[in-house]
Amino acid sequence: MQSPAPYTPSTKVRVVTAASLFDGHDAAINVMRRIIQATGCEVIHLGHNRSVREVVECAIQEDAQAIAMTSYQGGHVEYLTYMRQLLDERGAHHIRIFAGGGGTILPSEIEQLHTNGITRVYSPDDGRAMGLQGMINDLVQKSDYVTPVTDASSLHDRVRAKDPMAIAQAISCAERGEHDVIDFAKHVKRAPVLGITGTGGAGKSSLTDELVRRFLLDHTDKTIAVISVDPSKRKTGGALLGDRIRMNAVSDPRVYMRSFATREANVALNPHVRDAINILSYAEYDVIIVETAGIGQSDSQITELADVAMYVMTPEFGAATQLEKIDMIDYADVIALNKFDKRGALDALRDVRKQYQRSRQLFSQSIDEMPVYGTIASQFNDPGANTLYRVINDLLVKKCLLAWTSSYTVSNEMSEKIYIIPPDRIRYLAEIVENNKRYDAFVDEQADIARTLWKLRGAIEHLQQ
Amino acid sequence: MTTEQTQTDVALAALEQRAAEIEAKLHHEVRTLLDTWEAKKASYEGEHYTYTVRGKEIKVKNHTESLAHTRVPKIALPKFQDWGEIVRWCMQENVPGEFPYTAGVYPFKRTSEDPTRMFAGEGGPERTNKRFHYLSLGMPAVRLSTAFDSVTLYGEDPDHRPDIYGKIGNSGVSIASLDDAKKLYSGFDLCSPTTSVSMTINGPAPMLLAFFMNAAIDQECERVIKERGLEADVSAKIDAMYAERGMPRPVYRHGDGSTELPEGNTGLGLIILGVTGNQVLDAETYAECKQRALQNVRGTVQADILKEDQAQNTCIFSTEFALRMMGDVQKYFIDEKVRNFYSVSISGYHIAEAGANPITQLAFTLANGFTFVEYYLSRGMHIDDFAPNLSFFFSNGVDPEYSVIGRVARKIWAKAMKHKYGGNERSQMLKYHIQTSGRSLHAQEIDFNDIRTSLQALYAIYDNCNSLHTNAYDEAITTPTEESVRRAVAIQLIINRELGLAKNENPIQGSFIIEELTDLVEEAVYTEFRRITERGGVLGAMENMYQRNKIQEESLYYETLKHTGEYPIVGVNTFLSSKGSPTVIPAEVIRSTTDEREQQISNVRAVQTRNGKTTTDALDMLRKTAVMNGNIFEALMEAAKVCSLGQMTNALYEVGGQYRRNM
Repeated sequence: MQSPAPYTPSTKVRVVTAASLFDGHDAAINVMRRIIQATGCEVIHLGHNRSVREVVECAIQEDAQAIAMTSYQGGHVEYLTYMRQLLDERGAHHIRIFAGGGGTILPSEIEQLHTNGITRVYSPDDGRAMGLQGMINDLVQKSDYVTPVTDASSLHDRVRAKDPMAIAQAISCAERGEHDVIDFAKHVKRAPVLGITGTGGAGKSSLTDELVRRFLLDHTDKTIAVISVDPSKRKTGGALLGDRIRMNAVSDPRVYMRSFATREANVALNPHVRDAINILSYAEYDVIIVETAGIGQSDSQITELADVAMYVMTPEFGAATQLEKIDMIDYADVIALNKFDKRGALDALRDVRKQYQRSRQLFSQSIDEMPVYGTIASQFNDPGANTLYRVINDLLVKKCLLAWTSSYTVSNEMSEKIYIIPPDRIRYLAEIVENNKRYDAFVDEQADIARTLWKLRGAIEHLQQ
Repeated sequence: MTTEQTQTDVALAALEQRAAEIEAKLHHEVRTLLDTWEAKKASYEGEHYTYTVRGKEIKVKNHTESLAHTRVPKIALPKFQDWGEIVRWCMQENVPGEFPYTAGVYPFKRTSEDPTRMFAGEGGPERTNKRFHYLSLGMPAVRLSTAFDSVTLYGEDPDHRPDIYGKIGNSGVSIASLDDAKKLYSGFDLCSPTTSVSMTINGPAPMLLAFFMNAAIDQECERVIKERGLEADVSAKIDAMYAERGMPRPVYRHGDGSTELPEGNTGLGLIILGVTGNQVLDAETYAECKQRALQNVRGTVQADILKEDQAQNTCIFSTEFALRMMGDVQKYFIDEKVRNFYSVSISGYHIAEAGANPITQLAFTLANGFTFVEYYLSRGMHIDDFAPNLSFFFSNGVDPEYSVIGRVARKIWAKAMKHKYGGNERSQMLKYHIQTSGRSLHAQEIDFNDIRTSLQALYAIYDNCNSLHTNAYDEAITTPTEESVRRAVAIQLIINRELGLAKNENPIQGSFIIEELTDLVEEAVYTEFRRITERGGVLGAMENMYQRNKIQEESLYYETLKHTGEYPIVGVNTFLSSKGSPTVIPAEVIRSTTDEREQQISNVRAVQTRNGKTTTDALDMLRKTAVMNGNIFEALMEAAKVCSLGQMTNALYEVGGQYRRNM
């Protein structure tokens, strides 16, 4: 079958993708989300095992046009109907729901779901008739609309009341250039901003999640907003906004999160992030985290926005001279050396501290006082991440003159990996291969000896006869 | 003549000398192999074969007789003359039950039970209990395999929230408390040597295992209560406890309201439903019951967290925390002498279902197994204390490599255990369960699926699997019915009882192609081991999602070939019927009833609150144990008596961290 050409959306279509609650089948949704991205959409991917509340709140906060779900584990009628109901309850009547679940969703159930307000449930037969791209074209076409502003005249009141939908709509107005609608936020006193940037794969989103989690535990009455920026693809205009999948803490009601695509090549920040900061400040969030993808030179843009800037890197930067090329070492207030369990981490820590000292001519201070911290974000309650959190908290208090009291105690221990497999045992599989091959060689050798012996005994017997 | 004689003598002397030199190089154990070869062969030719297991002498008939009165040997040995061949065969193949266990880990198959394990789970515990009794009625041995609903698989409690509500008791049984576990296995003597229970659970495995163990302990307590004639006393005690709480005593009750026990259910396990043995018996008696139960329970819990992260996604805790709990379970098993229960079923099944080819399935699974070995060793456990508690679980599809998957696994494991880890014979024996491939079943021409399953089952039985589950033909489209499950069981029974060649227990040994495939697959596994090592071992490779990506690539390759028709599938992409072999839509799907769901919700709510402070204290203790690096499973064994599954899961999230999803 000839695959149809991808549909070209006329608006910036944002789609939330996920697999249903208690459902680990994520292969299909991963295939779908890639095609949705390639069809020019911005995809906020949540991965598997997501509750209706998580997905709905995400779609509202992200001002998405559509949600695309897979469900292979049953309960799809209840799940999707509840999703429609929750969206409607919160006034998000416009958000479309699409779903698929192979043969697990019966034709009669598809009918029922369509009646219940699910825009489209794709069956295996639809897949065969339309092809994958055909299905996605249908989905994107049905989602190709400008998201509404519920009531422009009361928008500022609702933003002030931290209504997530109002905030989401106000930010979208900024993105669309409708600045008159969000005029109210223009001259607001800005909330404290923590900027986080770093190389891809350094663990920025995990570390951000760990900081948010600690913030929520430490300040039980405070709110936090997270803005995360990922690059758009120049070729398709699509983007994978993948930070939310790593963030477990953002489903807390005291958190608002918005993912941005850069929408322009070669920049680390979306120009409307500034507007978003104003809007969130107007909503009186106690602190705003802006996380951007590191793409080299423009990393340091973040320092213009942030009160405190953090750079995330790993010990795997190569030779110490490479550090001289990293602009952010000169600008960051704090540096996190994440994945501190990697080999050579202690040397790396010293090298980065030295570079930090050099770049600021802080030779009168001890190198150990440089604000560079080893962290292992993947490890629960990591002491390095605890220290990092406290340092950032105190920096924000100092720079922004905040009246926060932190009760977060840190042990000042160095991050230390609790190893499952001790580092000196890491070659165990290769050792098993060597061991087994040694046995095989021994068998070969002994078999040869036995055969030779058998032949000799045969010859002897023959001669004796 | 004299010259000739002299020449011969000289030659003989030279040959004798050379033979002596060569013989000196022969390892003494190899020498023994050769010396005992004829005797070994003879031992399989007589009327009986005699061997000992754990000090017990076992006598087995060496032959079966066909209708034509042919004496078919159970174990057929090669007719080699060449000592080199004999040595190689004894060291790389050998008879079943002898190192390197290529042909099987036991000398003979069990005659008392078929390796049939039947998977069931639907609705509430009562409905599944009824199904279990139906399946095992009249069977000499009880081999239960439990499927849990997805709410349980993710460690949560049943609830009215619609995204949870729709999943209660669907595609598996809902188990959220000790009461549920007691009902589920009621009427089966969990401490009997002929009962074996398998639980397919991973993320919350430690909690479900704690429910199971407590259910077994309380059955022992019930036995004592009966022996001492304390039933009425105990019942009055329980009545009083519930009267004080102002709550009704929990009961075994079907969705339709009937409290009738299914045929075969003796009521064992229900006498002290709602309380635990320690509440109605003195401490000493309870301790005795506990010890007896723990040392006698037989079964398996899947609990393989590595393959979850690599393929199946039912992870709920951070991987490191989950591994630590697995280690705690194993440590507890060692301390309490839980000998007959497998603490983990190291599973390739889900890796294969996610799309991996058989070589990748085998290599990843063995690599995961060795990772557990290394971890447990690093925690100071002795190899022989835990290796016998490990079991494996593979999928059998129709690919050629599946004809040798068991023998390659056994061989690699045995060599590593004996020579690298210094494990004893029990440690060297790799035991595994086979389930026929669900992925190889299709929603078109579903009648053909039984044919696929039969072939896969034949692979498994010829390769001497230790237990086997055959899928029902309608699994590709719906929850199997009693009728389709019966047919699936029949596949195994027909092979085991009717098929003549299967009376022989080493039918594939000595086949040129089987030997060739064995070598090829073994080598391919080693190649994969090296690739994983380059990535920092199993955990290092997981960090970069190496296993996930490889599985996805292989899945895509299969889908592509299936799509183009290069990979033929009868009734799916070739040999279509005149109607084009359309996808079969099930008439109806078995779902749990509203009554069952409501009952599960009200039952779990009662469990959450009925013990008041005892529950909150147990949860505090659980958290404290985790923080203080104590044995979490030990704390779970106590918490499981008075807490719901969801309560324990959420307490552990606070101290162990939730799983963080990967892109």
